[in-house]
Amino acid sequence: MPLQDVGYRAWNNERCGPSSTIWVIAWTGIRLAWESRWLRRMVFFAWSPALLFAASFFAFEQAVDEGRLASLGTAAQRGRNLDGIGMLGTVLADALGGNTDEVDVETTRHLVWSRLLLAFMRAPQAMLLAAVVGLVAPTLISRDLRAKAWLIYFTRPVGRTEYILGKFFILLLLVLVITMLPALALWLTGVLVSPSVSVAFETWDLPIRIVTASFILAVPTVLLALAYSSLTTESRIASFAWFATWVACWIAHGALTTADLVASTQDGGVYSMEGTQEEEASRSPKAKVSPIRRNFRWFARAAGIDATLDRWAWVSPYHALGAVQAAIFGIDTSPRSWWPSSMTLLVMSAGSLCILAWRITAPASS
Amino acid sequence: MTTSDVTIPVRLTNIVKRYGRRTVLDGVSIDVTPGVTGLVGPNGAGKSTLVRSILGLVRLASGQARVFGNDPYRKPRRVRQIVGVVPEDECTIPGLSGVEMVRYAARLSGLPGTEALRRSHEVLDWCDAGQERYRPVETLSVGTRQKVSFAAAIVHDPDMVILDEPTNGLDPIERRAMLGRLTTLAKDHGKTIFVSTHVLPDVQAICDRVIVLAQGRVQLAGTIETLTKPPQPEHHLAGSGPLEQLATKLSERGLPARVEANETESIISLVSPKPENIRDVWSAAAEVGVSIRSLAPATRPLEKIFIDTLRRSEQHHDQHNTTQGDR
Repeated sequence: MPLQDVGYRAWNNERCGPSSTIWVIAWTGIRLAWESRWLRRMVFFAWSPALLFAASFFAFEQAVDEGRLASLGTAAQRGRNLDGIGMLGTVLADALGGNTDEVDVETTRHLVWSRLLLAFMRAPQAMLLAAVVGLVAPTLISRDLRAKAWLIYFTRPVGRTEYILGKFFILLLLVLVITMLPALALWLTGVLVSPSVSVAFETWDLPIRIVTASFILAVPTVLLALAYSSLTTESRIASFAWFATWVACWIAHGALTTADLVASTQDGGVYSMEGTQEEEASRSPKAKVSPIRRNFRWFARAAGIDATLDRWAWVSPYHALGAVQAAIFGIDTSPRSWWPSSMTLLVMSAGSLCILAWRITAPASS
Repeated sequence: MTTSDVTIPVRLTNIVKRYGRRTVLDGVSIDVTPGVTGLVGPNGAGKSTLVRSILGLVRLASGQARVFGNDPYRKPRRVRQIVGVVPEDECTIPGLSGVEMVRYAARLSGLPGTEALRRSHEVLDWCDAGQERYRPVETLSVGTRQKVSFAAAIVHDPDMVILDEPTNGLDPIERRAMLGRLTTLAKDHGKTIFVSTHVLPDVQAICDRVIVLAQGRVQLAGTIETLTKPPQPEHHLAGSGPLEQLATKLSERGLPARVEANETESIISLVSPKPENIRDVWSAAAEVGVSIRSLAPATRPLEKIFIDTLRRSEQHHDQHNTTQGDR
C-alpha cells in the first residue's frame, strides 16, 4: 500500500462548465499531436517562408526610406529581381500598374504589403497547411473510433458539440500557428523596418485582414479533414482522401484553366501569354507581361495574386480559398471572382459539419 | 418526478430497443436499488445495450429510463455527471500515461486542473496502481489497464458506478481486491454499483440483488438471499459413513431427508429441523455410524439458478417461435 494512500474520499466541489471540456480535449489533442517529430519539423519549417518574405518587406521599405520607390517601380516593370526571390518585382509591378511617375507611397505600400501577405498565405502557407492538417487530422476521430475511445467522452458529461469543437480547435490552433502568426509577424516586421512607426496606423487594417483570411483558410479545411477522419477507423484512408481531394481538385482546376487559356490564345484574348507585339501593345498596361514576369506568372497564378479572372477557382478548394482571400485583402473584390468560390467553401463546410454531426452520433446509437 | 424516482437510482420502464428487425431489449423493466446489483446473462442477451440505455447512448424504440429521477435522453449531461462507467471494451487514448488518462477523465467530468491531478493520484493509490501509472496506457498489462479504467470511472466521485465485466483479465488476488473495492464503495460510501458480468461467483460474492437478462427480457430479478433460498427451508448435512441409512432413519423420525450427490461428494438434504429436533439428527447419525462434518441451511447455487432460468427462457422462446410459425 502506498504511503500516501488516503483511501476513497468523496469530492463535492464545484465543477467546470462545458467550455472547459472543449479546451481539455483541444489541449490534450495538441499535446499528443506535438509528440510527433514530423509535426514539430513541419511547423518549424512552416515559418521559414516568412524569412524570405521578410526580405521583400525589407527591400520595399528600404526603397521608400531612400526615396527611390519610383525607380524601384521602373525596375519592377522591367522585370528585375528586387528581393532575391522575384516576389517584390511581380507584386510592385502589379501594384503600380505601369504608372511609375506619380507614386503615392502610402497607397503603394498598402497595395504591396497586401499582395505580399496574400502571396505568403497562398503559396507556401496554404500548401504547408495541407501537409500539416494531413498529418494530424486523419487520426483525430478515426483513432477514437478504432480504439472505442468515444466511450471515454460520451460516458462523461461531454456532448457532441464539445467533442467536435475540441477536435476542431486542435487543428485550428495548429493551422493558425502556421498561417496567422507568421503573417502577423511579417506585418510587424514591415512596420519595424519601415521609416516610421506610424506605418502601423496606415496599415492598421492588414492585421484584421490577416486574421480573417487565416480563419477563412482554416475553418473549411479543418472541417473537411475532420469529416474525412470521422468516416473511417483507418487513419490512412482519411489521409489518402484528404490529399486526393486537394490533388484531384487542383488537377481539375488546372485542366479547365488550361482549356480556357488555349481557347483564349486562339481568340487572342486577355489570357494570351505569347501574343504578337501589336497584341501586347494593344492591351491595357496592367495586362502587359514582361518576359521575366512571365516566368513568375505560373507562381502568381498559383498564389492567387494574378489579377486575371480565374473563373474555375471554385472547382478546387485551394484556388477557391485563394479567390476569397484575394477579396479579403482587397486585391480582387469583384463578386464574380469570390462569390462562386465562397459558395464552394460554404458548401464544403456545411457538408463536413453534416457528416460530423451524423458520424459522431453514429457510434453511440449503433 | 416522484420521490421514489429520485431515491431509486435507476428505473427502466418497459424499454424496447431494436437494431433493424432484431429486438435486443423487449419491454425491460427494472429498478436498480442502492447497494450492489448484478446483471447477468448469456452473450447477446442485451446487457451492454441495457447499460447504454441507462446512459442515454442508444435511442430507444419505446419505454422510459430514469437515473436518479433524470431522463438520460433529456438531461444526458446531468446523468453522466452522477454516473461513472467502466466499459467492457478497452477504450484508451494511446499516448497518455495511466495517470494522465485518469486526469483526462476527471477534466472531462468537470474537475478543475490541479484538483483533477490530485484526485487522479488519490484514486490510483486506492486502486493500488503503483508506479505503472506513469507508463503509456497502451503498454500496460490488462489488469493495470482495468485498474486505470476503474479509477477513471470513480475519479469524479459519482453516485453510481456501472461496470461491464470489471474482473476481466484480473488475477485471483486482484479480482478479490477489485470486488473488495466495489463493496467498500457500496457499503462505506453509499454508492450504487451496477455490475454486468458473466462471472457468477463474483455476483454471489458482492451483489445484494441480481437481474438475469436473456432473449432481451428480464427472466429473473430479486435479492441474492431470496433467489438462492430453496422453495422449502432445507438443511444440508455433509458427513462420512452410510448416508443412505441415515436418510432413511431421519425420515422414520419425521424429518424427510434424501441423499443428493453434488460435484464433489454426497450430501443429505433434509427439511429444516426445528431446534428441538437437532439432537435427533445427531443421535440418528451416531446410531448408523455417520460422522457429521457440517449441518447448515441449504442455499441454491446461483449458477444452477442461472442455468435453469436460461433453459426455461430458451424453451419459452422456442415455443413462442413455433406458435408464430404455425400462425
